[in-house]
Amino acid sequence: MNALTRMMTGARAERPAPAGGTTLQERGARIGGVLGGFLRRTSRTGFVLYALALGAVLGLASADFATRGGYPFGGTTIGAWTAWPKTGSTDADPYSRAVNARRGEIPLAIGEGLLLTAATDNDGRTLDAGCTYAIGGVVPPARAWTLTIAGRGAADPAATPLREGFTSTEILRGDDDRFVITIGRDVQSGNWLPMPRPKGPVRLALRLYDTPVAASVGSLDRNTLPAITRLGCSR
Amino acid sequence: MSTRGRFILATLCGLVLAGIVHIVTVRAIPYFAQGDAFSRARSSESLDHPLRIHSLAVAGAPAAAEAWLPIPDPAVAVGVCAYDLDDGPMRVSARTGALTLSIAVHSRKGAFYAVTDQAAVRGSLDLVIMTRGQYDEALASENENEVNRDVRIVANEREGYAVVRVIAALPSQSAMANDAVDAVSCSIDAPDEPTDANTKPGG
Repeated sequence: MNALTRMMTGARAERPAPAGGTTLQERGARIGGVLGGFLRRTSRTGFVLYALALGAVLGLASADFATRGGYPFGGTTIGAWTAWPKTGSTDADPYSRAVNARRGEIPLAIGEGLLLTAATDNDGRTLDAGCTYAIGGVVPPARAWTLTIAGRGAADPAATPLREGFTSTEILRGDDDRFVITIGRDVQSGNWLPMPRPKGPVRLALRLYDTPVAASVGSLDRNTLPAITRLGCSR
Repeated sequence: MSTRGRFILATLCGLVLAGIVHIVTVRAIPYFAQGDAFSRARSSESLDHPLRIHSLAVAGAPAAAEAWLPIPDPAVAVGVCAYDLDDGPMRVSARTGALTLSIAVHSRKGAFYAVTDQAAVRGSLDLVIMTRGQYDEALASENENEVNRDVRIVANEREGYAVVRVIAALPSQSAMANDAVDAVSCSIDAPDEPTDANTKPGG
């Protein structure tokens, strides 16, 4: 690895600094000339080292990028929601497995429940902490469900969260058994879920426990999941 | 070959190599990760009850030190029991209560079995996780006149962990949910009987 890094830093040092005042063409010709001279001087070993360095750096960087944060793919998008039925099973894709390992996550197994996340509202706009949202309608059949809100990244330790989510038992329902959860910074009547942070994107997680739909995500559609409607923004 | 040709060839080789490195790295991450659930659950191996990794806050009580789940469900208490089937089959027993309880069995590759308290027989849920060899042994030594209510699960891998989740539907049930996780027992089944899991290749 030492030789590779030396090779790379050497290559970077050889690249000329563009001189000010020259035209683009001159500069290009100069860079081309110096690069050509550098390449001509470089032996076969240099090319092998270059290929190895390129492979190592690109490979490791792309692997890190793909497994950082959330699952890169493997979800099923249904309207604003994305269902993640397979992230916890043995036939999860290698990326989900790597993401779980890096985060220390224990995903829900198929027999246990189903995780759905939403980062946008029903019109496709990113969920923003400066806005007020209404989440309402129906939830797929499940013995219990919870709806939680979180900002991206680590939570602010100084802030004391009033409430992070609702469970299916806690929710106040209307006459027709439907419910509306209002998410916003200001206190609301009914089911109010305070915004977890003053600004920036937020995301919702709907966890269905002991649900038959975990095994058949294809049976879900827009009308069986809660609708996320933007009511207004303060800015 | 011209210098430019060599340079292009080297770049192409580098890109192909990058692809290989990418795939190998992504596949290797679960085996080298130190902060993953599999490695961290190892510390619960000596306990006879699940190690609670996400406790629900009860009237200002501080959260447990062992908490690593990135975005836990605030209404669900979670505990883990690590097992090593070389020590013998792992028995996870739970008494069902008022709260929804589920047990999932994970290997390094992911969850291969999950059951909720709805599968309980007369208020108790007994899971026995065993290797193929231990399973055959249990079948052979079974007394036909005895009713066995164990749910037997054959694990493909020797090591893994069981996850116990209890849902507190209301904040007032938080303490109950924490206790329900602790009340589950994770024990090595029949430690007095030597198992031949070690001698069988592949378990």
